[in-house]
Amino acid sequence: MRFSIFRFDPERDKKPYMQDFEIELEAADRMLLDVILRLKARDDSLTIRKSCREGVCGSDAININGRNGLACITNVRELKEPVVLRPLPTFPVIRDLVVDITRFFEQYHSIKPYLINDEPAPERERLQSPEDREKLNGLYECILCACCTSQCPSSWWNPEKFVGPAGLLQADRFIADSRDRATRERLDDLNDVYRLFRCRSIMNCTEVCPKGLAPSRAIERIRLALVKDSL
Amino acid sequence: MLRPENKRPVFFNPVLIQMPVGALTSIVHRVTGILLAAGIPFTIYILDLSLQSDQSWSRVVHLLDAWPFKAIAIVFIWALAHHLLAGVRHLLGDVDVGSGLISARRSAWMVNLGGLAVGLLAAGALL
Repeated sequence: MRFSIFRFDPERDKKPYMQDFEIELEAADRMLLDVILRLKARDDSLTIRKSCREGVCGSDAININGRNGLACITNVRELKEPVVLRPLPTFPVIRDLVVDITRFFEQYHSIKPYLINDEPAPERERLQSPEDREKLNGLYECILCACCTSQCPSSWWNPEKFVGPAGLLQADRFIADSRDRATRERLDDLNDVYRLFRCRSIMNCTEVCPKGLAPSRAIERIRLALVKDSL
Repeated sequence: MLRPENKRPVFFNPVLIQMPVGALTSIVHRVTGILLAAGIPFTIYILDLSLQSDQSWSRVVHLLDAWPFKAIAIVFIWALAHHLLAGVRHLLGDVDVGSGLISARRSAWMVNLGGLAVGLLAAGALL
């Protein structure tokens, strides 16, 4: 199988370049990460970030044939040759396929991704009805791999001002949480022409989310909540 | 001060990034918007000219009979149809109609094909 991989070593290269590889697939090669690791065994300078290798940690998010995804849960046999691997678009490249997603986490932290509740804590726990818990499904599963934000045109043009799909999905996760008491502040914070309303419902985020989540629906729910709030 | 990441390259080439049908529709929505806005002065000029006198009306009719103007008119009718349909798609999405991934893909195709169909009808009528 033929591969074309983005290479950049900050200590050696002035500019990034694409390097071609060819490798015979073996029976055990199921996912793209399996093959990248075999290529790495051949050329140990090839760099990728990975950890859980089963779609839980989100470390190995890369651009695969133009589309962001997780190497560890992408079936290598379904990919079109040559398989072109590049780092996530718009993030500064540290080395080869590894990018610096500090900016992504800055936006994530800006939405205060934690429960805010100043009421005295009950003796055991803050209870939630099964119906209220149900509202968190499709929101809490985000693994913060940055596939969505890096494929989002609104984030490309305004990375500092637009929260981005992952951050807004998390914002909705806390707005939807019956135990959270900061809904008003959260909505006020997002009621901004850039922070929320820069989204143009292009839906690239939902197209590429490796966990099958729908950040575009979450953004829409926040918009609707703002409309209801203003009436 | 130079931020450390400024020394780092960035992969960003929209041509090499896959654009699903929703993204293509969004790009065309913008392009048609620019086309329509840019065409406003010309349209007003033609309207004004056509209202001045019988002779100027005949001049406008004669002008619009030439094939380059017919081609421009067809492009504008396509742009108007696409922009209108894409706008309606957005409005429906805002009230939670057709905003699931599958239905959004379908509606994006409908907008693109609907715009083209109106453009072809215009071409059939004008040419």
